[in-house]
Amino acid sequence: MTQTSSPTDESQLAVQLSEVWKTFPGVVANAGVELSVRPRTIHALLGENGAGKSTLMNILAGVYRPDRGELKLHGRAHQFRNPADALSAGIGMVHQEFRLIPSFSVAENVVLGSAPSVIKTRQIEAEVAAMADKFGLRVDPAQPLWQLSMGERQKVEILKVLWRDAQVLILDEPTTVLTPGEVDELGEILRRMADDGRCIIFISHKLHEVSEICDEATVLRQGKTVASSLDMATTDSTELARLMVGASPTSPNRPAAATLGVPLLELKELSARGDRGIDAFSDISFQIHSGEIVGIAGVAGNGQRELADVIAGLRPSTRGSLIMNDADMTTASPRQRFLSGLGYIPEDRLGVGLAPRLSITDNAILRVYRQQRRGPFIVAAKALSYCKDIVERFRVRAGDLGGPIAALSGGNLQRLLVGRELDSQPSVVLAAQPTRGLDVQGVKAIQDLLLERRNAGAAVLMISEDLDELLTLTDRLLVMEGGTIRGEFNPRTTSRQEVGLAMLADTKAVSRP
Amino acid sequence: MKRPRLNLREAPLPGGQPLAFAIGLTIALFVGTLLLLGAGHDPVRIYSRMFEASLGGPDAWAVTLNRAVPLGLAGLAVAIAGSMGLWNIGAEGQIMAGAIAASWVARIGGDWPGLVLIVVMLLAALGGGGLLAVGPAIARARLGVNEIITTLMLNEVAIRLVQWLIHGPWKDPGAHNFPLAPMLPDQARLPTLFSRAHYGLLIAAAVILISSLAVRYTAWGYELRIAGSSEATARYSGISLSRKILTVLVISGGIAGLAGGVELTGTADRLTESISNGFGFAGIIVAALALMRPSGVAVVALLFGAVQIGGQSIQTLGVSSSVSTILQAFVLFGAIGAGVFSRYRILLEGEAPAVPEKVNQ
Repeated sequence: MTQTSSPTDESQLAVQLSEVWKTFPGVVANAGVELSVRPRTIHALLGENGAGKSTLMNILAGVYRPDRGELKLHGRAHQFRNPADALSAGIGMVHQEFRLIPSFSVAENVVLGSAPSVIKTRQIEAEVAAMADKFGLRVDPAQPLWQLSMGERQKVEILKVLWRDAQVLILDEPTTVLTPGEVDELGEILRRMADDGRCIIFISHKLHEVSEICDEATVLRQGKTVASSLDMATTDSTELARLMVGASPTSPNRPAAATLGVPLLELKELSARGDRGIDAFSDISFQIHSGEIVGIAGVAGNGQRELADVIAGLRPSTRGSLIMNDADMTTASPRQRFLSGLGYIPEDRLGVGLAPRLSITDNAILRVYRQQRRGPFIVAAKALSYCKDIVERFRVRAGDLGGPIAALSGGNLQRLLVGRELDSQPSVVLAAQPTRGLDVQGVKAIQDLLLERRNAGAAVLMISEDLDELLTLTDRLLVMEGGTIRGEFNPRTTSRQEVGLAMLADTKAVSRP
Repeated sequence: MKRPRLNLREAPLPGGQPLAFAIGLTIALFVGTLLLLGAGHDPVRIYSRMFEASLGGPDAWAVTLNRAVPLGLAGLAVAIAGSMGLWNIGAEGQIMAGAIAASWVARIGGDWPGLVLIVVMLLAALGGGGLLAVGPAIARARLGVNEIITTLMLNEVAIRLVQWLIHGPWKDPGAHNFPLAPMLPDQARLPTLFSRAHYGLLIAAAVILISSLAVRYTAWGYELRIAGSSEATARYSGISLSRKILTVLVISGGIAGLAGGVELTGTADRLTESISNGFGFAGIIVAALALMRPSGVAVVALLFGAVQIGGQSIQTLGVSSSVSTILQAFVLFGAIGAGVFSRYRILLEGEAPAVPEKVNQ
């Protein structure tokens, strides 16, 4: 179903990637990807999380080496061994995480790594200022970096790449750190660079930005190119969303929700800040009832992670309140929330849910060791039999229970974690990305456990990036985008596309409860 | 050309650390041989003297064990903090604080019965070391101030305090104007077990044993290990991090202080400027080689003590004491270097890693 625009002479293409394959253990990230970018254009690379965009761009930028495939720049074949190779061939990448030194000035950051052995500060500042002027990047070269906003820091990152004379600029989700005004400004800057003869590859999830800024678009899905070099002037965002999320394989062959009980979890106009001090989400309100499993869909980075943190008590809320089992838990500690019936399956399994350097037994008893004490000691026999019980009931395949937890496979880690959290029969279950990275069996096992808990009368909140999973598993689906709930859907009557449009912040998306 | 790189193993090689230590010793011996040959010495003669002096007979063992006692306690102090991911770099100063506190008790309790005096002296040493760690502990627990800096700087405070005492108020008038405190009264000295080996050995062994058991088997130690493995996991399970940091750093300081008290009553017999003798810094090395496990500290301290005593003994053969220091350094380099390979494997470029370095699609 690959769609291609009119054939172009190969040597005219600034970038051509063909038949690119890249596998990581257990994951095929790129399975024969094609990408053609013409000079003087802004080219969008679209796809859901895990579609293979970042892998492909890391290959182009020399970070990864492809298993197979060809890379041509202006018709000439290249093989990059490292990012320096790619850079000297004119490819520069602006990563999502900035790589800047706060105590250095803007100019010093720009020339860092490619500076002459003697740095003449004035001269370099003048040169950086000239380059910034040319493309309309308004920054003061002498200003120390720590004083700059995120948007300004991004300009410094762009200047860094331009300074190294990159002809192909890759911007990995550049607008996530920007305010709407800054997004418009970035669009103008990119247009100037394209007019100057460069080409820009623009990775984004936000369709309306892509429509405004980009000339052409290539869409990836599950490691393959599903549409290449679409002309943005003639493609509407509904079509793009359809290409990104694919056809709906929904098959709701599951038990219907039991009759709804009382609300067990209630959020009232809850707001919280993210790690950078900016609002991660604001004024979120919803209820989850006994016997109901509610899903939160959304592209990563739209406030879901922070929402989970706040419900679990690991991040303070700034406004609003959180009610659990009729008790106000807005300021309660994580332990108080556990005691009042919250089971939490965190997104970061080995960093938050489990202690990576300790044994399987030590990890299994995290919630109950206080009950296994005799005097100052933890009774080893009780701990071991508890661990054995969890391992057997939740079918964790583990050898030596005294061995390190990190030796378990991803699926078994998650079975242990989920088993431990569900063992106390929590009335509210919060599961963040509970099946991510698991194999088919593992996914099924975890989903069954969550459904079982729901059928036993618990309120389950499931945050996932896997839309198919949410559509098949949940009773109600909320879409989170830009830190707010964009819509509420009934997964039995909603198509994948409708939800996809809301996730991608298409203005035409409507709430359809 | 294929370039090698390191890749994390799923689990450390079993028995990797003792093996690493053996490799470290071998490397040190090899480098030492070259060094000694270069300086015109006979390596065989030097090495056999080192062995004789440190492990060749009860008298040699006694000296080595007496050295292993402060090394082991200081190592334990660092390791206990380290098992929670904290760095106590101030054991050197805490040893001095402990020795000062014990000396003070000996000054006021000179006519108490021996057992009472010694017990009170050691308790005072424990308190003195702990007291010096209270400031850094509160600063770290309440304000997040880096404990490496604060504990390190307090070393300077402690050494100046010792200097002031032995040049000033506590100066021994009978010491011919040398800056020394007076000798301890006889009943304030630890009795010996055999040869010159004193009871400090039993005290250190008991403290190390109790600490290992506490870290391994108590709820307190469990919470410590959880917090050391992942702070987020500790918060998630409701462990109070700040209280843990506070108690652990103070206990760590107390154990280092105890090392100072034992060294004073067992070996030094009076407060001098060199009472801590670098044990506090050597303790960091001991703890690092024991992988911050209290149970490993005893073995490492014994081996390290032997290397130190052996190194000192060869000075009478005309070998500079720097050679022994260099040998110690190479044991450390070798062991830590070899330790890397119990946790990492070497891959040639192009080989697939067992654990992906970065799966980021």
